Amino acid sequence: MSALTLKLRGASDQRLDLSAVTPAKLASMSQSEIENIPVGSGRRAMKLGDLVAVSGTPGDAVVIEGGTSKLDGIGTGLDGGTVIVEGDVGAYAGRLMKSGRLEIRGNAGHFLGSCLKGGLIIANGAGDMAGAPRAGERFGMSGGTIVVKGNVGARAGDRMRRGTIIAKGKFGPSAASRIMGGTLWTEQGFGDGPGPLMRRGTLIGPSVDRLLPTFNDAGIHDLNILRILSRYMAETLGDLAPPALPGKVRRISGDLATIGKGEILLTA
Amino acid sequence: MPELSNDVTSQAIEINGVTVEDTFAEAFGMSATGLIITADTIKWARICATVVTGFGTSVIGCGAECGIDYELAPNETPDGRPGVRVLMFGFSPDALEPQLKNRVGQCVLTSPGSACYNGLESDQRLPLSAGVRFFGDGNQTAKKLGKRRYWRVPVMDGEFICEDTTGLTTDAVGGGNMLILGRDRAGLLHTAEEAVEAIAKVRDVITPFPGGIVRSGSKVGAKYKGMFASTNDAFAPTLRGISDSELSDDTIAVLEIVIDGVTSEAVSNAMRAGLKTITNIGAKHGVTRISAGNYGGKLGQHHYHLKELVS
Repeated sequence: MSALTLKLRGASDQRLDLSAVTPAKLASMSQSEIENIPVGSGRRAMKLGDLVAVSGTPGDAVVIEGGTSKLDGIGTGLDGGTVIVEGDVGAYAGRLMKSGRLEIRGNAGHFLGSCLKGGLIIANGAGDMAGAPRAGERFGMSGGTIVVKGNVGARAGDRMRRGTIIAKGKFGPSAASRIMGGTLWTEQGFGDGPGPLMRRGTLIGPSVDRLLPTFNDAGIHDLNILRILSRYMAETLGDLAPPALPGKVRRISGDLATIGKGEILLTA
Repeated sequence: MPELSNDVTSQAIEINGVTVEDTFAEAFGMSATGLIITADTIKWARICATVVTGFGTSVIGCGAECGIDYELAPNETPDGRPGVRVLMFGFSPDALEPQLKNRVGQCVLTSPGSACYNGLESDQRLPLSAGVRFFGDGNQTAKKLGKRRYWRVPVMDGEFICEDTTGLTTDAVGGGNMLILGRDRAGLLHTAEEAVEAIAKVRDVITPFPGGIVRSGSKVGAKYKGMFASTNDAFAPTLRGISDSELSDDTIAVLEIVIDGVTSEAVSNAMRAGLKTITNIGAKHGVTRISAGNYGGKLGQHHYHLKELVS
């Protein structure tokens, strides 16, 4: 695997747009062309070469050494290949990603994996609105998987249709708001009021801080789909997969403020 | 069942006292699909697989030729439960589709604890949940994982899981066959059973007739109006002396094994396994000859020459 390494020169005083930094976009560019990619989003024009030292060979991977929470849009539209960030990233990392792997070895900001279509995103922590669409967009995630090794902020998965968000930690308040499908899976539990206005979709976790009044207890069930889900995650994520689900779960149906075909599955 | 018009020549070879005729089985191109059926126990997976493949001996009268291919361990199935792979063969994808819909709807949905998954990897697809998911009456939901979509249909014992589509091949082969002739009916049946057991170990094939064995070889047409097929008098021992029999004087019974395969190679492998078993057993149970059914090579695209398969 050939990799292009971008080593951060130092801190930036403005937010930076790195949406052009993907293996496919950089593969056909010379080093000087890469260094001239505009990345500034403030009043002062800024090029990639001002921000990072470029080394290595363009190929199917880009490694960013030394991230900060000001680096926005990393891995936008990624369609194959790998992007690794050795540090934190800002907002919209992995937005509209189609395939490939975005590995953030730090925390991600808001809108991680916004409108994700496919591929895998890994981060240590995530801000609010993970997977969510931008204002005015109709749907959020339509595929792919986001694995967060820590906690996830509020309203994760907003307007999701398909795909999976896994939190090794806890989801913040109003997770899975307005979802129409897909899966949110937490090992530590959901915060306040998960699933507001969810139509379909599955929320899996050991606990919920507070259930919305528009969710009804459907009892304890042995659901075959959980075996399929556990097996699929183990096969596709390996060590990143959450532990296999127990045979029986408590099913909470909702949100009955809409069509109520969604479910919260409590594993504990 | 094929019309039998064998040309017995002096090129026949003898193995362990059994004459292998210098002839060939003539088989036809078909469409095929596969299912993986799982249940809480292998007992219930077998029950469900047996029922869904029932009344599936011949496309002529049953609409599809169906059978159990092999059993799967829990670690080989999508839901980690024991399973059975079944195969279905039809004249065309259009002919298979309603068979699949009806059989899954009546035989898999109804079976306690069952689930039904894609059983054939192929880019060509057939709808698997097309009818059965609507049993959920609007309460059915789907879960898409990777490229596979699973429907969850609420039923009285929880949920019936049915994958959205299954694979289809139009390169399948139907009608590979071998005829076992001899002088002891019980011994013939025993030998044929052993051959069917050997064929069952070959992947991607089924032997769709009862126990894998046919005793009613047919010819095309009949003296009666509306009959598409009737007994093959040339191979019916009791008609020797009345019809133009193809049987020698010491032949009192003939049994046929019909083989359908997902590929021509699978049919070849199955025929080789069956022939090897029969010739290994030899003449000790009364088998005298092995032949095959064909139409002179003019109708079927696939020819399986017995001598090549036993050599």
